[in-house]
Amino acid sequence: MIVEPYVKNYLSEHYGDDAYRTLAGYEAAGGFAGLKKAVALAPEAVTEQVKASGLRGRGGAGFATGLKWSFMPKTSDRTKVIVVNGDESEPGSFKDRLIMERGPFEVLEGILIGAWAMGAQRTYIYVRGEYKESIRTLESAVDELRARKLLGKNILGKKGFEHEIVVHSGAGAYICGEETGLLESLEGKKGQPRKKPPFPAQHGAFGLPTTVNNIETFAHVPFILERGVEWFKSRGTEKSPGTTLFGVSGHVERPGLFELPLGTPLREVLGHAGGVRGGRRLKGVMPGGMSMPVLPPSELDVPMAEEFLSQKGTHLGTGGVMVMDETVCMVRVATVVSYFFRDESCGQCTQCREGTAWVHKLCLKIEQGRGSAEDIALLDNVPSLMEGQTICAFADAAAWPIQGLLRHFREDFEAHVREKKCPFPESFEL
Amino acid sequence: MTPATRAKIEALFQRYPQKRGALLPAVYLLQEEKGFVDGDGARELAALFEIAPVDVWEVLTFYNMFYTEPQPRHHVYVCTNLPCSLRGARTLLKGLESHLGVHAGGTTKDGRVAIGHEECLGSCGTAPMMRVDGVYHENLDLAAARRIVDELE
Amino acid sequence: MPTLTVDGIDYEVPEGRTVLQAIDDLGLLMNGVEIPHYCWHPKLTIDGSCRLCQVEIEGMPKLQIACNTPIAAGMKVHTKSARVLAARRGVMELLLINHPLDCPICDQAGECKLQDYAFDWGVTSARTREPRRPAKKSVDLGPTIVFDQERCILCRRCVRFCREVPKTGELGVFNRGDESLLELFPGSELDNPYSMNVADLCPVGALTTRDFRFKVRVWFTDDVESVCNQCSRGCNIVASRSNNKIYRFVPRRNDAVNDTWMCDHGRMSYKKNANFRLTAPSADGREASYTEAVKRAAELVRAARDGSGKIIGVASPFASNADLVAFRDLLARLGAGPARFSVPRGEHDDILIEAEKAPNAAGCRALGMVESGDQVGRAELALVLGHTTTAEVFGDVKNIVLIDTHESALSLRATVCLPARTFLEKSGTFTNSRGHVQKFAAVVEPAFEAWSEADALAQIAAAAGIS
Repeated sequence: MIVEPYVKNYLSEHYGDDAYRTLAGYEAAGGFAGLKKAVALAPEAVTEQVKASGLRGRGGAGFATGLKWSFMPKTSDRTKVIVVNGDESEPGSFKDRLIMERGPFEVLEGILIGAWAMGAQRTYIYVRGEYKESIRTLESAVDELRARKLLGKNILGKKGFEHEIVVHSGAGAYICGEETGLLESLEGKKGQPRKKPPFPAQHGAFGLPTTVNNIETFAHVPFILERGVEWFKSRGTEKSPGTTLFGVSGHVERPGLFELPLGTPLREVLGHAGGVRGGRRLKGVMPGGMSMPVLPPSELDVPMAEEFLSQKGTHLGTGGVMVMDETVCMVRVATVVSYFFRDESCGQCTQCREGTAWVHKLCLKIEQGRGSAEDIALLDNVPSLMEGQTICAFADAAAWPIQGLLRHFREDFEAHVREKKCPFPESFEL
Repeated sequence: MTPATRAKIEALFQRYPQKRGALLPAVYLLQEEKGFVDGDGARELAALFEIAPVDVWEVLTFYNMFYTEPQPRHHVYVCTNLPCSLRGARTLLKGLESHLGVHAGGTTKDGRVAIGHEECLGSCGTAPMMRVDGVYHENLDLAAARRIVDELE
Repeated sequence: MPTLTVDGIDYEVPEGRTVLQAIDDLGLLMNGVEIPHYCWHPKLTIDGSCRLCQVEIEGMPKLQIACNTPIAAGMKVHTKSARVLAARRGVMELLLINHPLDCPICDQAGECKLQDYAFDWGVTSARTREPRRPAKKSVDLGPTIVFDQERCILCRRCVRFCREVPKTGELGVFNRGDESLLELFPGSELDNPYSMNVADLCPVGALTTRDFRFKVRVWFTDDVESVCNQCSRGCNIVASRSNNKIYRFVPRRNDAVNDTWMCDHGRMSYKKNANFRLTAPSADGREASYTEAVKRAAELVRAARDGSGKIIGVASPFASNADLVAFRDLLARLGAGPARFSVPRGEHDDILIEAEKAPNAAGCRALGMVESGDQVGRAELALVLGHTTTAEVFGDVKNIVLIDTHESALSLRATVCLPARTFLEKSGTFTNSRGHVQKFAAVVEPAFEAWSEADALAQIAAAAGIS
């Protein structure tokens, strides 16, 4: 189990300290200073501060957090709900797990600040079912909060500031990390994403006005309130301020987590991870989790922030950096990737349900040496039948990596067809 | 459903504005009794939650962690997603398959251990790894994996 | 009212509707404005998963599903652009990956939305040689429906129907992704009073009725508009006929009466048209020709009138309004009081099934006829339509002239019995419980001589010299 990142910054500074997981230890490290500042401000002012900070969601979409908070109705005779997305299931992404296990109070304090700002009375933290340690840690932390009257009514002596937090376990489905898929699952149904409209701020969890934010997003919020907008904006880039926990995996010397400012060049991130293992050559890097198109070695100077990655035809996603060296067969990669999306499609939309299966079958066929030029042509075309046309972005996430692999590594596919077998004898086994 | 399970489930209702929000936690609780939820269990849940049995069955079949059939004593799941595969997860799985004498997706002849693939478990920095009866075992090599499996009762 | 522009034509549409709803409200959907769709249905909640109804809307970068896009004032929609056509073809091809080309053995052929759209948009197969996903073939879902799981395109209309209309919720979609399958809860059946509607709803041949299975190809049939006569709801229907035989009833949409549904009992009632019919007239216990029987009936009428004997008229709530008017007029000329009638009653629900188990009791009432199940009392002659008023109440009646469609205890008791046409063998109107006067048209010709009640009464009147 990872206890702290190899490179730390404000978020993970204390993760190595077991006491930080207790309320007393968290306070001793300066925790709840942010919340105290927040409740001294008007709720709208807190939202404005989060907006001004430029904090972007850390769950993969990078949506402006303050703006999302402002979508909640200002007054409502209905309960307002915060939902925290702890369903981290994006392959290559393992940061939220660390935050939940080692910095749970950062998340809880962020939630309470959000609750004050949005006038929300209830939070559900939806944690993927497999993260049992995270669930236990969060539940413990919530109990401590309640015992200290930081939950319930009149929190911090503020009349009308009431809040309750429920930790809710998922049950093994990647699509429950999609905002509305999560809401459906929370409501006790299949995690099949909803059509929009209506939007969660109007009709969210149990039909109530809801804001959904990622675990890490909430973890940054207390620091913004405590240390101020200018401080936050001094790290990262203009459009993507702050740090994030980059998760580096695959063929590096030192896989693990690295808290670095957004905008750090990819080369530098890989450097922190010790570079490609065994001194081998790099073949490709997926910069943002498995949904985001691969980058070739020529693009290592790209700053790791959404506004730069999108210019290179990929995205920051969850900052899950997967490194592949020269031994790797990209057709095998495509087969692993497409199998995942086939397995995890919720099955509602025609394009996704049928398309993910078709793409996987094609990749498998080519990988096993049974493919033809026609099959590669199909693999060029089928992802385009899927993207941009479905209820949620899962079909896009399934289409993009395949398109990326074909764009940069077409020769791997053509070699499989030509030689009727995998031409990379040292590649990882399938 | 034992009265104890029923009581635990009913205690969850007040946590959600609609009682159905407690369904996933309730399935976990009921599943603890026998390791799976069958048609009768689904009917009991349906009655308790005032929904149709088919609604419960939809939920049971949608999620990986719910089972509708009797399960062996131990579940050994090796993550074979990309970051883990890059670090040899599938080779490790094949090693375990040989060791146990059963293919992934199957159960050992004595019915004790099921072995299979699993999708990303959020352990990419400590790959390869496996989840045994819910517990993560990370930074594995085949020898360590075999030891863990051998210690299962 | 906002203006919606579709393919360059402006329409005024009400607020609060989606694009597809608005076009449906205008009566133009698939009838001038072609937006193919599977999962959307005018009488069910919006699903949005088939993705076939995607259209291009100016100002929106991505294609939008017409079924879930609310109208905004000045919205401009394009249903025929290259992007839209490409998207449609994409959806169609993807559905054809797993959908077996069963057309030669599938009942839905000829009225199948997959077939129709495939030919309309030029996608008749998928570019795949991979095996299809395995699924069940031709299993009973319950007493009425046959299920071909391989054909299912997972539009979920049937799932929503069972949850929202009969509220029995038998069907669900299990598993995930391309392992998704439409199924029943293990060990259960699809068995509710409206089960057969799912066969209408299913755009393909995944759900078909056992009753209609393999009986006739729909292109050998034509559909005649009629109204169900099994209760006072008067669900609008079409009767599918071929070679003078009725093969099925299918509900017809009427938003004021039955939406797009009918109950299974009414749907199966087409069978009653053929069984236990009165096929030959009788007089004084012996079979007679129509003319002879009419003549005998006329004698009885004249005798009663001339002898100042009491004449009673008993009407039927199964008769058409024209028949009832003719009856009332004849009784008036005979100096008989208003006709009486009785209505069989039974279970009802809050969906479609009504307690009055006849189509035109309201018609009887509107004509001043009196509902009564009492003993008829002493009378010389009873002129009787139908047998909803049962034989026992005629204890003190000397002669009965019966005009009826089906055998009954009364037809054995009647002095003269004249076979009548059912509502499927003539045209006319029924008035339903809400006062809607609804037309029906003749579907088949009986194989024997039979007249509408009005015509039979006219013949009797003529033979009796009554103007």
